[in-house]
Amino acid sequence: MSTVAEPMSTGRTRSVRPAWTRHLFWYGLLLLASIVTVLPFLWLLMTALKGPSDAVFGFPPQFLPREPTLANFARVWDQLPIWRFFLNSLFVAALTVTLNVLVSSLAAYPLAKMNFPGREVIFYLLLATLIVPAELTFIPGYLLAVQVFQYYDTLWALIFPSVFSAFNIFLLRQAYKTVPNDLIDAARIDGANELRIWWSVLTPTIRPSLATAAVFTAVTSWNALLWPSLMLRTRELYTLPVGLMALRGMFTADFRLIAAGAVMVIIPILIAFIFAQRYFVAGLSGAVKG
Amino acid sequence: MSNTLRSRLTPYLFLLPALLFMATFTLYPLASVGYLSFTEYNILRPPQPVGLANYQRLIGDGVFWLSLRNSFTYLLVTPVIIVSAIALAIVVNRPLLGIGVFRALYYIPVITGAVAVGIAWQFLFDGSGGPINGMLLSTGMIEKPIIFLTEPGWTLPIAMMMTTWMGVGYYMVVFLAGLQSIPEDLYDAARIDGCNEFQKHWHVSVPGLRPSIVFVAVISSLSALKVFDEIYVLTNGTGGILNSGSTMVFYLWKQAFRLQNVGYASAIAMVLLVITLTFSIINVRMLERGEG
Repeated sequence: MSTVAEPMSTGRTRSVRPAWTRHLFWYGLLLLASIVTVLPFLWLLMTALKGPSDAVFGFPPQFLPREPTLANFARVWDQLPIWRFFLNSLFVAALTVTLNVLVSSLAAYPLAKMNFPGREVIFYLLLATLIVPAELTFIPGYLLAVQVFQYYDTLWALIFPSVFSAFNIFLLRQAYKTVPNDLIDAARIDGANELRIWWSVLTPTIRPSLATAAVFTAVTSWNALLWPSLMLRTRELYTLPVGLMALRGMFTADFRLIAAGAVMVIIPILIAFIFAQRYFVAGLSGAVKG
Repeated sequence: MSNTLRSRLTPYLFLLPALLFMATFTLYPLASVGYLSFTEYNILRPPQPVGLANYQRLIGDGVFWLSLRNSFTYLLVTPVIIVSAIALAIVVNRPLLGIGVFRALYYIPVITGAVAVGIAWQFLFDGSGGPINGMLLSTGMIEKPIIFLTEPGWTLPIAMMMTTWMGVGYYMVVFLAGLQSIPEDLYDAARIDGCNEFQKHWHVSVPGLRPSIVFVAVISSLSALKVFDEIYVLTNGTGGILNSGSTMVFYLWKQAFRLQNVGYASAIAMVLLVITLTFSIINVRMLERGEG
């Protein structure tokens, strides 16, 4: 043990070691973390591919399917409208993102660039709502949905309560603040009204932040479980997480089918992630500063 | 005249939609849940005011105290997440070939959602032959399989592991951004002073990451206090044997939407609100100290 630790103890010996051993050490760590990250998913996939004669559970565990089959996927597909769940999730996410980003960026503009009485009060009020867990509003939210707005058991019940986001308002306010005032003044001199300035001068310049806010909101909406499971009763209206919970309840006897359902639910978001990766990951640094 | 009035109104008009949604879906519900906590209400009949009865009931309710304790235990996730996310950020901050692929890989658990991940975890920890038991058995660490998912003592730890596993990638990105804003000469100076790899990060990276650490501590502890999904998915909505995995939000949900005790659930919500507020005040103090 001490002989292993020794070369690390001084800075000089470290640089003497050849580059490739150092790289090997770091790649080893990366690989270890990758295994911890990917193995649960991989095991899920392998289970979904297993045929009836393959053991799902057992000692020692069997990882690879001996006779890989897509039958599990086909059966889940036949018995549950996964496609419908996907479209529902897509509809809810798309509308939530559009409304949320629109409302947030409208609110962020005056908070960043205008002086008016009450600005501080509004700002701190927004700040305070950031602390309130959404879960606390679910009981009155439920009553509102049933008694007042009557959108219980419709997809609107998932959209409207998610339109307001203090977090996105802050994120976009930070972005608007970086836009030079000269740009706004020039547009004012040209006779543009504030709505025009907001839409055609400011909004295009903060596109990366808008994308960050949009992706954040979309992922939250896509993965929401508690509120949608309270609001949706009709199976045809289920979103993917609610549908996957229902699927698990249906197929308790065969884990291969549950695994196949889980894999099908993961695939769309994985594809979105691969294509829009930089928006998922990159914008976060801006969120921290905000 | 009308022009100046209009320009005076402009900022408020911009804010109006956001304020309307905030009032309807955040402020009104808060006031309402406060009122309901002083009533007995089962949705079928109108709320009946009962004074402090719900709060008195909380004091004698063992499951409530267990849920409270579980929610506080859940905060242990925060230090674990901070340490592992910093370690991971340091590793992926090296300009190695293909490092972007690894960064993306570690981010996948963040986006896949609690239900799919929960299913994978239930499978891994299965007591009748899941891979974790398989590994432990084959290395001789245990002699017979542990029934992780129904063993009361294991419900919370497994949920906490799942939270950590799902969160590390997100916080890694936060710390990565923090690391990249630390000036390179500080590391050079540390090297000249004879720091080894570990000391270098201990003396330069960790102090440099202070703002990110505070941010992550705030975000992850607040979300640990209101954990629900992991418990719901892992225990199939039961909260575990003997409520062993019940947390504040889980118990709130169960009382309100399973048992129709809406007034009582509102009292639980108010306790959660007070706890989150206290926590946030402490966090703000920490932030101020960090900046000052």
